[in-house]
Amino acid sequence: MTSASSHSHADHHAQASGDGHGHGPDRAYLLREDNITLSPGTGRGLSRALLGAGVIGIVLAGFGSTMIGPAGASHALAALHVGVMACLAVTLGNLWYILLFSLVRSGWSATIRRQMENVASLVPLLGVGVIGICVADLVLGHPLFRWMGEHQGDYLLSKKSAWLNQPFFYVRIVVYLMVWTFLARRMTGLSLEQDRTGDKWLSAKAAATGAWGMLFFALSVAFASFDLLMALDHRFFSTMWGVYYFAGSAYAGIAVCILITASLRRLGRLEGVVTEEHNHDMGKFLFAFTVFWAYIAFSQYFLIWYSNIPEETAYYIARKTGGWNALFSFLVFGHFLVPFILLLFRPFKKRPGLVMAMAGWAILAHVADVFWIVRPSVYASGDFVDKIGVGGLWVDVVAIGGVMAVFAALVIRKVTSGVLVAVNDPYMDQALEHKNYV
Amino acid sequence: MSVLHPDEATARRLAGLVPAPVGAADPGKGDGSLEDEPGKRAPLVLGNRSFGDVTNIVCGYIENKPARWWLPTVLFTGSIAGLGGMFIAYLVITGIGTWGLNNQVDWAWDITNFVFWIGIGHAGTLISAILCLLKQRWRTAINRSAEAMTIFAVICAATFPGIHIGRQWMAWMLFPLPNANAIWPNFRSPLLWDVFAVSTYGTVSLLFWYMGMIPDLATLRDRADARMRRNPNGATVLPFVPIRIDRLRAFVYGLLSLGWRFSSRHWHRYETAYLVLAGISTPLVLSVHSIVSFDFATSIVPGWHTTIFPPYFVAGAIFGGFAMVLLLLIPFRSLFPRMSDLITLRHLENMAKIVLATGMMVGFAYGMEFFIAWYSGSQFEQEAFLYNRLMPPFFAGEEGRYAPYWWAYWAMIGCNVVSPQVFWFKAMRRSPLVIFIVSFLVTIGMWFERFVIIVTSLHRAFLPGEWHMFTPTLVDIAIFVGSCGVFLTLFLLFARYLPMFAISEVKAVLPQASPHYHPEPAGPAGEKGGH
Repeated sequence: MTSASSHSHADHHAQASGDGHGHGPDRAYLLREDNITLSPGTGRGLSRALLGAGVIGIVLAGFGSTMIGPAGASHALAALHVGVMACLAVTLGNLWYILLFSLVRSGWSATIRRQMENVASLVPLLGVGVIGICVADLVLGHPLFRWMGEHQGDYLLSKKSAWLNQPFFYVRIVVYLMVWTFLARRMTGLSLEQDRTGDKWLSAKAAATGAWGMLFFALSVAFASFDLLMALDHRFFSTMWGVYYFAGSAYAGIAVCILITASLRRLGRLEGVVTEEHNHDMGKFLFAFTVFWAYIAFSQYFLIWYSNIPEETAYYIARKTGGWNALFSFLVFGHFLVPFILLLFRPFKKRPGLVMAMAGWAILAHVADVFWIVRPSVYASGDFVDKIGVGGLWVDVVAIGGVMAVFAALVIRKVTSGVLVAVNDPYMDQALEHKNYV
Repeated sequence: MSVLHPDEATARRLAGLVPAPVGAADPGKGDGSLEDEPGKRAPLVLGNRSFGDVTNIVCGYIENKPARWWLPTVLFTGSIAGLGGMFIAYLVITGIGTWGLNNQVDWAWDITNFVFWIGIGHAGTLISAILCLLKQRWRTAINRSAEAMTIFAVICAATFPGIHIGRQWMAWMLFPLPNANAIWPNFRSPLLWDVFAVSTYGTVSLLFWYMGMIPDLATLRDRADARMRRNPNGATVLPFVPIRIDRLRAFVYGLLSLGWRFSSRHWHRYETAYLVLAGISTPLVLSVHSIVSFDFATSIVPGWHTTIFPPYFVAGAIFGGFAMVLLLLIPFRSLFPRMSDLITLRHLENMAKIVLATGMMVGFAYGMEFFIAWYSGSQFEQEAFLYNRLMPPFFAGEEGRYAPYWWAYWAMIGCNVVSPQVFWFKAMRRSPLVIFIVSFLVTIGMWFERFVIIVTSLHRAFLPGEWHMFTPTLVDIAIFVGSCGVFLTLFLLFARYLPMFAISEVKAVLPQASPHYHPEPAGPAGEKGGH
């Protein structure tokens, strides 16, 4: 089916260029079947191994929670929450790129968009993760969302009860998940339908969805980040919070897309389809969101630091004392300065090995960022080292690693299950001949 | 007889007054640029123009006699500017008590105007820098005029803090210059960062704009020179001044073009420098208005201290800037011959979409501010929003408390959030008239936004005993109107004496510039006149 449809498009392309000589890339050759599909069974073993390891990790974390003292449940649940929120950010980031690229009728991205769709379509499974966290939190007596538990009766909380109350909270979580699932299904559905029918006007539909979808995306991500991260400390508030979580999402999202496309190139696929030019542009996005995240994170921190009012500074004090300051410094260097300097240089955006290293590092930095947000809300300053000790860190490693391994397994399964590019995308020719020139 | 060519018909054609023959127009595509089919790119220059046509059209605006409306208009806007200047003189002589400021509202129209103008400039930098890095080819039609607008807006903006300081002859102390009194600016003040941010921004924008113009200035120089050689007895500057216009042009444009000779080495360096400047300007777009937002957000004044201010101000600046670009270019593209071939309906539609997108970002920020003011549980924030800004008298309730500036807040919401929503409809964002009206509303709304932020927060702060309303005086109003006069006068002069388009960049987006270009076989409709 694939080769037939790409053949007919090659004809169309030759006609469109007006002279029949077929200027530009040889589309039929580049989109040949063995270049855009994986041989059956590829990655199955790895996917199974990761799934197994992930499940073991999550079970171990649950087991470990009983071993590390009274705060164990909080500890393990928070660690799982870090993993889920980091992976959710990756899927939401990819969803955002799909909406954006469709909306602005981007040409160059046509060859990488399918991989973004693969990641974004995992939103419902991350939803299962989010709901799982909420259920575990409920069953264990709110060790994570402590405004529902031990902080009940707090004066500030009573003023916020119109928003921070249990029924409304759970309804909102379901609404966010429905919005994301709908957007992801709609965008991937249109793209897959285009694969089958070749109807180029489906791209116009996707563009229209991108327009209103962006609006719903922005609102849902902002409020979800309030509920799932900011409200872990119910006293804290920051108008920037939604933008901050989004900045991290777009950063980690493009990193995962880079890793997938680069791995496919290693497997000998997408040759001439995802080229160094595409790497270069994805690398530029990685660079852009390195800077954007730093801009947002700095602005938020700086305005709170400068104004120095206790309602807000308490949040950062908890995250800059008791051992957390090391993590804060790591974010300054690892999430911004080092990747910023390296990504200024072209090889780090272009050369497959280097760009993969940068992307892998970005995911690590993003997890550290979420960890830094979530962890100190569970432990008062200094408590972590005092009560749990560094020995308790293994629970974090297995929990976060477990969630990420399951996520990676699902991504691999998704990627290997279909055609690797949106073959009938009307912008395919532009993407295939994409050059940065300078 | 025209200066371009002895033959009147040829001269008109060279000046771009007569369109080149075009192929059959598709009525479904507006002026031909409204291509909706996915995968196809709309033509960026209409009328089947040749490379030569583009040069002739752009240079024609400078070389031909100005349109009849030009001189009266520039005299009118110039008088407004002069009037503003006189009021500034009055302010300097008398003192800033002539403004409506009081002890509580010590920033009002002056800082509102400053933030308003500095924001206007951001569209120019966004187009020239960020859209360049994003390889948005449609930017070529609007980048030069938007960059010019940036410079003029920065000039207007820089005036206001300068005259606000009270003793304007001490303005040099804004800069950290060594002086006998050992007085040093306070580096911990965001107001000082503003001085650095705005002056860096002004300098880089000026360099970017000027450097981009060098090849076009050289074109103007060479054309004047060639005409002078052909016809040494051409028109003089004035009937009784024996200086030939073209000699003057060749001299002035020659000076400005810095010895540009169109060698490939020059072009190579030019493009490298352009990319570097685009890279430097991109963080500037974000930093300048972020630092302006720090002026407010680092304080603890309710309504000012909120963390979303930096990106919110940047989005608002781009929003207001694009509205101003549209406000200027929509009349120009009708008034200047053949300009609508270079600035097509597609360009207007793209800009309308950016206005919609940035308007929604601003609306998002308004919503977040309001939500978090409630969510924070801080009574001061809540009161600032409800009773300084939002509550209209007819909803005042039993206590009768309402926000005296409610009309300003709702004018802002109506203009900035509601009015751009018409751009969801294709027909609306493709109608120059509708775009013009919305841009006008947005410009008003963005001025009100700054007024709302500054005045409503200040007029009722923590001490109720110091609550004061602000009422502008004639001097407030006249200086703001004067700054509009300065801005328009400078833009009109720019349109008359400097190239409004980057000629080489417009040529690069013509179909025949593509390495894959193969002309259609000549048909009866596709035939093109020689040039």
